[in-house]
Amino acid sequence: MTSRAPVSPAEMLARPVTRIRLPGDPGSTLTRSRAPGRIVRILSSVLVAGWFLLPFVPLGLWAFANDWSFPDVLPGEWGFEGAGSAIRQGALPALGNSLGLSLVVAAIATPVGAMAARALTFGSVPWPRAVGLALLAPIALPPFAAVMGLNVILLRAYIPPAAGLVLVLVVMALPYTTSTMRVAYAAHDLRYEEEARTLGASRWNVLWRVHLPLVAPALSRAAFLAFLVGWSDYVVTLIVGGGEIVTLPLVTASMAAGIGNDAAVAALSLSAIVPPLVLLALAGSAWPRRGQTTNPALRSRGEQE
Amino acid sequence: MSASVSLEDVTKSFGSASHGPASHGSASHVPAPAALAGVTLDVAAGSCTAILGPSGSGKSTIIRVIAGLEEVSGGIVRVDGVDVAGIASEQRGIGMVFQRPLLFPHLSVLDNVAFSQRVGGASRADSRRHAQHYLDLVHLGGFGTRSVRELSGGQEQRVAIARALAAAPRVLLLDEPFSALDPALREDMHQLLDDVRAALSPTIILVTHDRDEASAVADRIAVIQNGELLQHDTVDHLYNRPVSTRVSRLMGGLNEIVGRVQGGTHVSPLGHVPVSPGTPDGPGVLVIRHEAIEVSPCTEAEPPTSGVVGHVSRVRRFGPRRMVSVTFGDGVEVQAALPPGDAVQDGGRVALTLPPEAVSVVPR
Repeated sequence: MTSRAPVSPAEMLARPVTRIRLPGDPGSTLTRSRAPGRIVRILSSVLVAGWFLLPFVPLGLWAFANDWSFPDVLPGEWGFEGAGSAIRQGALPALGNSLGLSLVVAAIATPVGAMAARALTFGSVPWPRAVGLALLAPIALPPFAAVMGLNVILLRAYIPPAAGLVLVLVVMALPYTTSTMRVAYAAHDLRYEEEARTLGASRWNVLWRVHLPLVAPALSRAAFLAFLVGWSDYVVTLIVGGGEIVTLPLVTASMAAGIGNDAAVAALSLSAIVPPLVLLALAGSAWPRRGQTTNPALRSRGEQE
Repeated sequence: MSASVSLEDVTKSFGSASHGPASHGSASHVPAPAALAGVTLDVAAGSCTAILGPSGSGKSTIIRVIAGLEEVSGGIVRVDGVDVAGIASEQRGIGMVFQRPLLFPHLSVLDNVAFSQRVGGASRADSRRHAQHYLDLVHLGGFGTRSVRELSGGQEQRVAIARALAAAPRVLLLDEPFSALDPALREDMHQLLDDVRAALSPTIILVTHDRDEASAVADRIAVIQNGELLQHDTVDHLYNRPVSTRVSRLMGGLNEIVGRVQGGTHVSPLGHVPVSPGTPDGPGVLVIRHEAIEVSPCTEAEPPTSGVVGHVSRVRRFGPRRMVSVTFGDGVEVQAALPPGDAVQDGGRVALTLPPEAVSVVPR
């Protein structure tokens, strides 16, 4: 028979005690080094930024290079010959055409997209899923295929090229404006408008003083996307416009097809970047306090309904 | 300034066509309201009526119909005796405050309150001066220049009330305006509502699912369930003279004793309970509030001079008080609230006194 030896108090105290681990102890998650994660995060940010910015480096160099022969790392002679050559090729009127066309497309596609989105979101459209998909379809369709067919119809219908061009570009911009506005309306609380009506606001006042201010940030995003559709289009302008409306991409492409125009093409490309950037900055500064809480409806989602 | 409101046999049904595919998983959509089935309701000018009912009972639909935010399917809505059918919401002169404050985020606190004057054509300065008065009324006079994002939940709801009042509505509709607030804040808002009534005496119709809130702020309560108005009466009558077991239950009544009335007495396993004179003979359910029953301990040796005697089957906590379940004969149980003290214990015998003024007999 085995009997355990009695344990003296001294022995008891000498035994190792499994102490409760405290948050500040070595090895706890609070004291673990976070350096590797941080380095990875910074490195990946730099890589992504580089991926975006790197193409602009040769562009910026070429735009101001009068002469840049192959083995040289930097242009041999700096100057504005590229810009001058682009202007001689009609870059300025093309810039005006591009701006006008894009603004018209945005001015039509934004309200139409907003109305479609509102109707789709608040359920006054039969078969909303099918209609929503149909509105997205222009994105999926290869523009070249669609435009070749459309062009025949537009010509047969005696629609002027400029009108046809705007028509087709608006349809191509609608998926962007509609989906942007659907997101906004999904978070939009119609009771703001009901409240305004009980306060005596006419339909016009409800629209002007309540509805539009509430969706304004989304409207400016939608308009920006629609502007970009017009701004960057090449195929539709070429085919439907029939050479009547010469825009910046058309001039750029025709110069790029030639030889020895690298500086002019670079200058044109740089000037094509500026207007969207200006618009983006304008849109960003117009709604300074919104940002994350674009719609206050989102703030109280958790409230009891 | 205040106007009477009357609903005459108002029905409202919602076709599936108009409210079919509205939902895309967004919680912020206005939920499809519940239907109404022949609601007749008269609200006197300057009074405060609470519409009380469980969720989905159609209580919000009633005030949406009054506000003109929903068309009636049948029946007539009158404001100050005038049929308002075909009058647009913005022309009815009826203010509304929702559960969410819905302050316009692009306007300052003062401009929110000034909104009704602005859309009415007043100048910015005039409408702001007018608004300041109402902001003072809700004790937020110094908050005018703030953004609505800088307000707490209770302050937001105060501004919403000030904004509705600034439109000088003939009727003020409140759709569960305080349900999202915590209890202490809710008390403040009830006080504020009293102040508003004293200052402006608008006709107020308040929708709530909270009996205590209804009895705290309203003169009269209209109980609604499944789109049907069950009873519209004073607060006292709703608690002590319900017209049906449904009303009794909605008002938190726990006791329903099936029996029959014979010559001014309700006969049931409970025994003979005197009822108010004029109660017709025949089968009927006796209802009485648990708070109205007097409980006194008694023993076999000394029977009580009045009341009915039963066995205590259970004593439990019920908010600040204790509640006793007393069993009679073949399983009939009566709930009664106990006075402070612990004289009553499980298994004991108690005598219950049912005051005739608190006893009602309703149809089965």
